[in-house]
Amino acid sequence: MRFLLHLFLAMALALPAVSYAADDEKAIQILERMTEAAKNLTYEGVFAYQSGKNLQSIRIYHRADARGELERLISLNGAAREVIRSNDMVTCINPEGKQVNVSRRPLGRGFPSDLPRRLSSATPFYDVKLGDTDRIAGRKAYELNITPVDNYRYGYRLWVDTQTYLLLKSELLGTDGDVLETFAFSSINTDVHIPDHKLRSQMAGEEMTWHRSEPEEPINTATSSQQSRWQASWLPDGFSQVAYQTRLRASNGADVEQRVYSDGLSSVSIFIERIRARHNHLHGGSHVGAINAFGTIMHAHFVTVVGEVPADTVEKIGNQISFNDTP
Amino acid sequence: MTAKQQELLSAFVDGELNQQELDELLSLMDSDESARADFLSYQFSSDVLRGYTSRSEPIDLSSRISAALESEPAHQPAEVAGEKARVLKLPDWFWKQTAGLAAAASIGALAVVGVIDQPQNSVTPELAQAQPQPQVIQQQPNIAASNRWTVGEREVEDRLNNYLVDHNEYAGASGLFSYARVVSYGEE
Repeated sequence: MRFLLHLFLAMALALPAVSYAADDEKAIQILERMTEAAKNLTYEGVFAYQSGKNLQSIRIYHRADARGELERLISLNGAAREVIRSNDMVTCINPEGKQVNVSRRPLGRGFPSDLPRRLSSATPFYDVKLGDTDRIAGRKAYELNITPVDNYRYGYRLWVDTQTYLLLKSELLGTDGDVLETFAFSSINTDVHIPDHKLRSQMAGEEMTWHRSEPEEPINTATSSQQSRWQASWLPDGFSQVAYQTRLRASNGADVEQRVYSDGLSSVSIFIERIRARHNHLHGGSHVGAINAFGTIMHAHFVTVVGEVPADTVEKIGNQISFNDTP
Repeated sequence: MTAKQQELLSAFVDGELNQQELDELLSLMDSDESARADFLSYQFSSDVLRGYTSRSEPIDLSSRISAALESEPAHQPAEVAGEKARVLKLPDWFWKQTAGLAAAASIGALAVVGVIDQPQNSVTPELAQAQPQPQVIQQQPNIAASNRWTVGEREVEDRLNNYLVDHNEYAGASGLFSYARVVSYGEE
């Protein structure tokens, strides 16, 4: 009997190892170095973002030094929208609406810094293969093919610079293999000094309306006794909670709770916002590019699931969120 | 612009570019102001002429046009599931102000006919609490053809945009590119 138990345990332990071995070791390594490179390199370039029939050209500046990271993205078509990210703030500038939205970044810097550690948890749910080498923006690139094991997540094709390991091109693939979104550098320079003025917005701030949202005290999900009364009853295999925070939205004074779940590569956020006035909300599904959202109203709260996963996934998660009535 | 470049633009609008041609077009747009202006007007015309022929929202144009459409009684939000072909007659000022429509006219279309997926997927709190929630799930085409939320109401859209920004902090494999979705939000 004890022998059988040992055999069972050995098999249970061996299973994840088998699926890990099925992945290309080198491909996983490249993926890990890619996430490090995006954080640690200083680079400047122009990339295309194509989603359906929409094509945008975007300039990016990213500076990494002892003070941390500073990044600015500017749309080169239409309204010159900008996003500026510093160590602790995200500033979105919309010159057309004369609006600036400033949001404090969560403590711990969230997902990007965690990604290498989490990649290993993704391997049972994706088949990761190293493809041929290719040329993107004049650079030699490794091609990685990442195929999900089920239809609850998207697949990826990534092209990674063989020299710097920077991500040069990325395709998000739908469940039938269609390309949903493409991001691709048309020019990139990694051997560059970026002066401060290139990381500042060219907009004059005084004519803009500013909206700020501040986080409340961060809650450590592992030790907190203040458990949320909201529960996600269903998540795709491999998804677990990676972040939890509440913010105060200054524009309407609403508390917004955000929980983030990830399988290591794809992620989903659930937003729960108490209704403070008679407002409408998304009911059902909507999407921007490959980001799907599913909204509903429960117990006087707007409940919204947002993620770079198929519409069916956010819908299924959204339909199985429960609220514990007894405090 | 050369004839070859014109051809590239029109092939792009028709969705017939391969990756190499796409790269070529992008670098052209980076370097040539007039090519960029032509591209914008081409795509604009294309959106007007063809954007409504599939199940897509009617606000995938500039905010001015959508405001003009909304002010017309014929285009108020329809009943749930009241989806049918409609004829959109755009106001005269629109045609006069749209520069690139010479290209559009060659296709011979004067009015835009299509299926409009009216903003119907929002609900008021009262309605939701009074009765079990009906399953009004919008059937989405499997391709990501929209670069703005299909919600028709400014306030709901703003809320979803806040969520989009907050979620992006955690967006996984798209990594360094993920904020492109925020920067290019709503551009046509």
